[in-house]
This record gives sequence, structure tokens and C-alpha cells, in this order.
Amino acid sequence: MFNYTDISTVELSLPTQIGFERVAMACSAAFARYVGFLPERIEDLKTAVCEACLNAIEHGNKGKPDARVIITMTYDGEAINVYVKDQGDGIKDIPDDPDIEKKLLHLEAPRGLGMFLIRQLVDEFEFNILSDDGHTVRIQIKGGPEVESYQAST
Amino acid sequence: MGEQSSIGIDRTGDIAVFDIKGDVTSASEPHFSEAYKHPDMDGVSKILLKFDEEAYINSGGIAVLIQLLAETKRNNQTVAITGLSEHFKKIFNMVGITRFATIYGSVEEAMGKL
Repeated sequence: MFNYTDISTVELSLPTQIGFERVAMACSAAFARYVGFLPERIEDLKTAVCEACLNAIEHGNKGKPDARVIITMTYDGEAINVYVKDQGDGIKDIPDDPDIEKKLLHLEAPRGLGMFLIRQLVDEFEFNILSDDGHTVRIQIKGGPEVESYQAST
Repeated sequence: MGEQSSIGIDRTGDIAVFDIKGDVTSASEPHFSEAYKHPDMDGVSKILLKFDEEAYINSGGIAVLIQLLAETKRNNQTVAITGLSEHFKKIFNMVGITRFATIYGSVEEAMGKL
């Protein structure tokens, strides 16, 4: 539960339905713009948040309509941490990095790229944070030099 | 939710331009499959994928593109890409798509070099 006076935290609750990851992307982008992130880091954040939410919807909550995806974003003056929580029991098999040549030869499934993209785009990540009521993925992304202007103005 | 993709085919000689509108997600698979099997594709040896710079592309959409690349590789067709934002150029490079499809800055440049 967050502190009601905390102005560095934003929380979203999404239905378990493909398409709502776009809401999380838009919200994270607005939050990152607000704190002064560089445009390219905002794009990285959007894609990482999108993929974490898709995993939560498809694999965590397994499409169950009565489950929610809870996204909490916090800013600490340097980085944004995004926590994406679903009601699943974690990621059993974290896929290896994709091998496109194998995919083109149908030796590897074409899907399974989401976690790879998250790993590539963020500064820190943590999978399988388990609690009694679900599973959380944490991604951290730093904003770049423009963040200093936000810090100076607050 | 979101904008469903649609693909128009513009044929010039042995080059087919796929004019891709809207989101590219796992839901785009039937559109790509239908476009690739369209009668206008008979005799095509080169395909240019033209994206919207504002396009929303997720990992499911990239998987659909990889399936398309697998088909083109099997049929000895050349694939090129244009219209991507800088962010998605980086993503396509990360995933390895650029090893099998060259990215060009514009349709004109791609058509000149294909």
C-alpha cells in the first residue's frame, strides 16, 4: 500500500485483457516525461512495460477475467521502478535469448521475445518476486541527463 | 482495443510493397498471411515492408514478422523494411531481424536499391 502523500508514486489497476497494456505504456510514458526522461529512454520504458504487462495478462493471470494486473511506478530522483503484479505463481522457465536463425528454420518458436526485450532495454530487472497474492516483475530504467533538470527544479 | 492492422499490396515489377497500417501484434498474423498468399504476389522476388512511424509493434507482432521472414527465406525472396521509428530500428536489430531484412530510410531509397 502506498503513502497517500507520496507524489513520486503512481498506481494503475488493469483488466486482464490484451490491449490494456497500451494504457500502462501511455501512463508510464507520461510519468517519465513528467520527471524529465530522455525521449529514447521513454520509448525503452514503454516497450518494457508493454511486454511485462503482456506477460502478466497472458501467462500470469492466464487471461482470467476476474484477475487484475497492478502496476506501480515510483521515481527516486534517478530512475523509475515499475512493478507489474499478476495473480500467477511466477515464471517457471525463463526463455533463453532468441536465436533468429533457429526461428526461421522453425527450430525455435517464433514467440518468447518479451522477456528478452525487457532484459535488453532496462537497467535492472527482477522476475519471480513472489508473495501470498501473486507474482511481481520489477523493471528499473534510468532517465538520462535530462533528469538533472527535474531534480534541480524540485 | 487498439487499431487493427491492415495491409495493402502495391506491386511494381517483381517488388511488392506491403503498406502496413495500424498495430502489429499477434492479431496481425491473418493479415500478413493473407497478404503473402494474395494472387498479386505471384512472381514476387522482393518484398518491402512499409510501416507507419507511429506504429505500435509488440513482441507478438515481431513473432509474426519472423514467421513471414521464414516463409520468404524458404521461397528465396528478399525482404526490406522502411518507415520504422528509431526505437523500432533498434528493437529489430536487437532481435536479429536486420540480419535478414535491410532497413531503408524511405520507400524511394528501398525501391532504388532492391
